[in-house]
This record gives sequence, structure tokens and C-alpha cells, in this order.
Amino acid sequence: MANLLWIQAVCCGAETASLLNSDHPHFEVALRALDVAVLGHAYLHGQAKGKMGDVLAACAAGTVPVNLLVVEGATYRAARQPAPWATGKPLTDWVDAIARVADYTVAVGTCASFGGIMACARSPLGATGLQFHRADRGGLLGADYRSRAGLPVVNVPGCPAHPDWMIGTLWALRRDRLTLGDLDRFNRPRAFYGKLAHHACPRNEYYEFKASATAYSQQGCLFENLGCKGTLCESDCNERLWLARTGSCTRGGFPCLSCTSPVFPDGFVPFFQTAKISDIPTSLPLDVPKAWYVGISGLSKLACPERLRRNAVSSKPVWPDRGAADGDKDDRV
Amino acid sequence: MVTKTIVFSPFSRLEGDLQIHVEIEDGRIAVSRASGTLYRGFELMLRGRDPLDAIVFTCRVCGQCGLIHSAASAAAIRAVLGVEMPPNACIASNVMLAVEVILSHLTHFYLSFAPDFADAPYDDAAAARFLPPAGASCSRMLREREEILGVLGLFAGKWPNSLAIQPGGTTRPVNACEIRRAQGLLGEFSEFVTQQLIGCELEHWLALRSAADLDRWLGEGAHAASDMGFFITRALRLGLDKMGRWPARFISSGGWPSATGGTLMRPGWMPNLPQVANLRGVVEAFDPARIAEHVKNSWFEPYEGGLHPHDGESEAAPERTDAYSWAKAPRYAGQPAEAGPLARLAIDRDALIMDLLGRHGPSVYVRELARLHETIRLLSQIGIWLGEVDPEEPFCRDTRHAESGSGVGLVEAPRGTLGHWIRVEGGKIRNYQIVTPTGWNLSPRDSEDQPGPLEAALVGTSVPDPDHPVTVSHVVKSFDPCLFCTVH
Repeated sequence: MANLLWIQAVCCGAETASLLNSDHPHFEVALRALDVAVLGHAYLHGQAKGKMGDVLAACAAGTVPVNLLVVEGATYRAARQPAPWATGKPLTDWVDAIARVADYTVAVGTCASFGGIMACARSPLGATGLQFHRADRGGLLGADYRSRAGLPVVNVPGCPAHPDWMIGTLWALRRDRLTLGDLDRFNRPRAFYGKLAHHACPRNEYYEFKASATAYSQQGCLFENLGCKGTLCESDCNERLWLARTGSCTRGGFPCLSCTSPVFPDGFVPFFQTAKISDIPTSLPLDVPKAWYVGISGLSKLACPERLRRNAVSSKPVWPDRGAADGDKDDRV
Repeated sequence: MVTKTIVFSPFSRLEGDLQIHVEIEDGRIAVSRASGTLYRGFELMLRGRDPLDAIVFTCRVCGQCGLIHSAASAAAIRAVLGVEMPPNACIASNVMLAVEVILSHLTHFYLSFAPDFADAPYDDAAAARFLPPAGASCSRMLREREEILGVLGLFAGKWPNSLAIQPGGTTRPVNACEIRRAQGLLGEFSEFVTQQLIGCELEHWLALRSAADLDRWLGEGAHAASDMGFFITRALRLGLDKMGRWPARFISSGGWPSATGGTLMRPGWMPNLPQVANLRGVVEAFDPARIAEHVKNSWFEPYEGGLHPHDGESEAAPERTDAYSWAKAPRYAGQPAEAGPLARLAIDRDALIMDLLGRHGPSVYVRELARLHETIRLLSQIGIWLGEVDPEEPFCRDTRHAESGSGVGLVEAPRGTLGHWIRVEGGKIRNYQIVTPTGWNLSPRDSEDQPGPLEAALVGTSVPDPDHPVTVSHVVKSFDPCLFCTVH
């Protein structure tokens, strides 16, 4: 059995909440399969494991080996915080020290990965991600940081991260099966971040014909008017699905905010508007050539079937007329 | 007389950064101080942003109760606009928010409160049941969570950090088929509660009206073997009914607004706890204008007395050596107040909880039991709400952009009364203030140096073994503190 040290830094606890939402494997089953003893985690660090300050000190000194160091939440460079906990040392110093001796270091959530909400403009914290500050390499540990096993910090962003992304990444690391080639340019596992949230969105037919919702609760595409960033967001949310596989942001009727991106949140504000130049959104999809997109979108809007045009702005399905009594008439378009 | 000062931090099985400083005299706590030691500055981050973006930011104050923050934010914007949600949106939000409360209460009980029974100096029976993650009851809770998450997913799409609640209503209309699916999932989740938590039907539990009814219930059938039965037996044996009391004053905004007006539970302010002989107590109208926040002992730029949140200030001053917390001290009519399930149910005059308060006072035992009782009440209520959704009617109205004005959104979060105050000028946020439930409960001392509810409740607690301060832990956890919320 190996040790997994989970440190909550400047966070909101959403990765922890999301982790507990794991289904297949359920959280407790996942822990058994990972074959790890969890230290430091808010819910799993009992008295029997010793006082937190002592455990952190033992981990930093190497007397308790840390196979997986997981950090939830941003860290900070400018210390405007009094020393947290009764450990006499700023939390950031503990993270820094233990990252040097851990086999693998994993950042869960966008704050730990890139700074996220905690590093937004006007944040008084001087918060940063573990090895990135927004889209720039560096962060708390520096661009050259490598864990003992030779990997940079493995980033598992999302606000929050999906439980599968966290457990799947830890699972691969426990078996030493994650290599640099499995990570993308922001050191995110491609297996989870290689697609777009837009893929498998049930509103895709509306998207293809630019049949757009103009207000919430309507069935149309949320990109053109309501600020959806699903075509920019590198994640597999709409294929993987959330909450016992019942939903996603766009399935919930609200725009994807591209929360797995290193420039979340300030790269996408104001969130609920789509910036446009003469009716063409300025943030074009990542997965098609821009010139072609502009070319075909005008055409596809013209080609939009009446059925989609009407349904896009309706909160309930608008059905075609029943047609002729003999049932041979198909007026679906 | 022996005086010993101990600082507990971080707390075992508690989220967020809480530091409890106690001075022990002759084995009992004489003085206590509760400090939130994390600072994030959400209120400052929001200045100058688009009002709607407050929904996105504030739901990220807390990973466990983000939806209720988004609801408070949407309600504050709704107040600026002077609009209302359609009835379906009211019901749909209530379903989502009640699920969030149930998840929060059960996560708290199974992963934070009950595991303390399993740690030294206690025994193996509790460990087999409650020691996370493999204890029989907590591992089952982690599995069954999936069903109630499914109910949430049908309305909220994703969680934590759903944006399904907007000023105009809810973003996802549900159809008749989805309502049936939600009812099915709810029924399956209820089986976990009936089999594991209470060992009887929900209706049977909800029929309990007094402490005597509860005594009788405990003696019937297999009830004593349920998690609730185990909790009651253990709590009374350990004297948790005598621990964690304070001269309680309760606050509640009612929570879960009805589409036809009013709230599911009655709102109110209870300045004096009713005596046994006079259980009716005195409940006054809840008036948000009477709320003020103090910073005499908090790491913020000092000001005189208290400020109403509408005019609140949040300039950090970490260099202040005369302060000890990142939490401000909210006061109602100048008094510290307890928020949460116990406060809600007392103000709502729930018969079982009022009678238990009469017998055991506002103790660890009654506070925790109120939380479980509310879980069962809400679970039953979700089924009623699902039946009231009309899929033919709208869920959302189109609203204009908020350009100027001020508004407040007051809601009941899992841990109690939550308020968001927004002031909009020129289409941007000018000022934003958040007063959270744990802000009320774990408040530091105010301008008059009156301690907060937890600080008061800790005084007198016996601490037999300072190396295993489990009594302190019971008292602290009975308030279900969420430090993330508190130190937004």
C-alpha cells in the first residue's frame, strides 16, 4: 500500500465534493483499487494517523514516503496569509517541500493547476497554480520542476474536476502508466482533455445550423447568444456526463464556461454574453479551421430547417402537424 | 488551579481552515476563540464585474453548498430587477437546493460527525459502522449518493458549480418522463434512508411529535440498530445532550420559497430560548435590516460598531495584531445568533425538535438530531415538489440586464441563513457582501466583545484528555462548520 497525501490549499472543497460523487467506481471502491492510504484529506485523515502537522513534517522529511501528492486549490507566492494550521509554517512551504520528495504531484481543479478563480484579476491573494500561472509555465514550483518519477505536475483542471478525471489520473500514476506523451501542452492527460465539451452536446444539431437559443430554458444552441464556450473547452463532459451520468453544463441548459482552461475565469468574462463582430462570434471553435467556419456558418444558417428554427427558441418540443390522414406526408423539415 | 492553553488546528475530518484556541482550567474550557485562518477575498474579486458573473463566482465560495450561493446571488439580482421566477422555477430550485442540503447533512454526519465515535477513546462497534471510508454505513452512503445525485442532475446538469438557477428562473425545463425518473431515483435513495439511517418508513419517523415519542420509537423493532438509533443511544450515553449548550438565540429566513408566497419553514428571530414550561417561545419577525457585521476582532480595516451588509466593507488588514479571524462577526439586533437546522426547526416550531429542546437544551445532541430530522423532512418534501412541477408551463422568463440598484438575496443554506447583498452601478458590481451561516455560528467576538455562538458553546466543555480532544470536536462539529463559506 502506498501513501496518498491530499492537501487542501486555497480552495473551496469542490474537488473533494466531486470526488465523493464518483460512481463506478464508487469512492470507497476506488480507494481500495488504488491501494493507497490517504493522509491529510479533510474527511479521511483520522486521529489514528497522527496530528496533521506531524504527518506533514514526516512527509517533508521523507520518513513517510509520499507516492502521490494531490493538491486541491491554489497556492500563493505573496504571503498575505497568516500561517494556517498550528504547524508554524505557511501551507505553501509545506506543498513546496513535499513536492520535492513525492513520486508524483497532481494538481486537482483549475485553481491548483493554473490559479483559477483564486488567481483572477482583483484577487488580493497573489494566488497561483502549482506549475502554471494561468497559461504561463512557472507557478509555485517553477517550469523545471519534475517529481521523483520524472513527470511535471500532472494537471487535472475543471471547476470542479470530474471524479473520473481525478480517479483515472491517480489510477494511471499508481501503475506508472502515465508518460509525458500522455499529457497535452498544459500537462493535462489527453485521455480526458483531448476532446471538446461541445462534442456530444445534445444541442449539436442546432449548432450545425446556427439555430440559437435567445434565452435560458430554450432548446437551441447556447453559443451564439448566451456565451457558451463548449467549442473552446477541452474536456469530455458531454460524452462522460456528470452526476450519475445524468447531465452536463449544456444539458443543464446553461453555457459551458470552459472551466478546464488555464485562462478561466478572466479569459471568458462576462460569462453570459458572446462577443461578436458583425454577428460572427469572435471566439471561434478550436476544432475547425477558422476561415471555413466563417464561410460555412452563414450558409448553414440559411439552410436551417424550419423545425430547428422554431424549436431553438422554444422550451418545449414543437412538433410538425400530424399531416395527411394516410400518414404518407413527412414534413419534418 | 491549572490553566492550559491548547490550539487545535487543523481539525480532524473537517473541511476548511479552522483554528480553535481554548484555555482549560481544571479540565474544563474557560475561554475559547474560533478563527478562520484562510482568506480568499471573493467580495473584492467581484467589484467591477458584470452582475450576472456574481452567480459564477459566488457558487465557488463553497464546494459543498455552491448551489445555494448561486441561488442567493440570483435572488439578489432578481431584487435589483424587481422580477419574479415562474412557479416551476421556484419548485425546481427548491428540489435542487433541498438535494444539496441532504447531501451536505449526510456527508457531514457520515464523514465528519459520526466517525468521531470510532476514534480513540471510543470503540470498535462504532468503527465498523462509521470509520471512513470502509465503515459499513459510510461506504453505503457513498454508494447510494449516486441516486440522489441523479435527481439533482436532471435539474442542475452538473454539481458542484451548477448555473441552473438564474434571475429569470431555472435553465433546464424537465418533462414528464424526467419527473418520473427523478421520482424513481428519489424512491431508491429513500430506501437507503429508511433501511440504514432510520430503520422505518419516512412517514413513521415524521409522525414523532415529542421526546416521549422518540423514546418509544427507540424501543421498537430494529430502530435501535439503525444509524439514528445508534447515534441517539451513543449520544445520550456520552452526555452529548449536556454538551455544547449556550444561551441560544436563533435566526432563520425560512427557506424554500413557495410559488404562491411564503416559505416552507417559517422565518423568524428567536431572541430567547423558550423554557420547558413555555415551549411556544417568542418568535419575532425576521428583518434583514437588523443585521450588522463587526470587525473589531477580524483581519479587516477597522470601523466603529457594526455595518449593515449593504454598506459593508471588506478591506483586508492581516497585519492587525488585535484580531484573530478572517471571519467577520455578524449580529442580529446586536446579538450573536445561531443559524442552521436547529434554528430553522425551532423557529418553524417543529413539534419533535421543540420538545427535545425543552428536555435537552440547544446541545450537541439536539443540534445533530435536528440536522438528521431535517434531512428526512426534506426528503419527503422533494417527492411532493416533484409532483407539483407542471412540464407544460415555463421554467424561465427572459430578464433584462441589471444596470443599477441594490438588492438582497436571503436563503437557507444547509448550515443556515445566507445573505448576498449586491449594489450595481453603471451595469457593474459596485459592492458585494456575503454573510454566511458559519459566519453566524463561528463568529469571533464583536465590537462589544460578545463571543460568537460556538465560542460560547465551548465554554464549560470538559476536556479529559487534551491529546484526544474529542469533546471539543463534538461541540465544534455539531455546528457543521464550513470554513470555506465563512472566510469567503
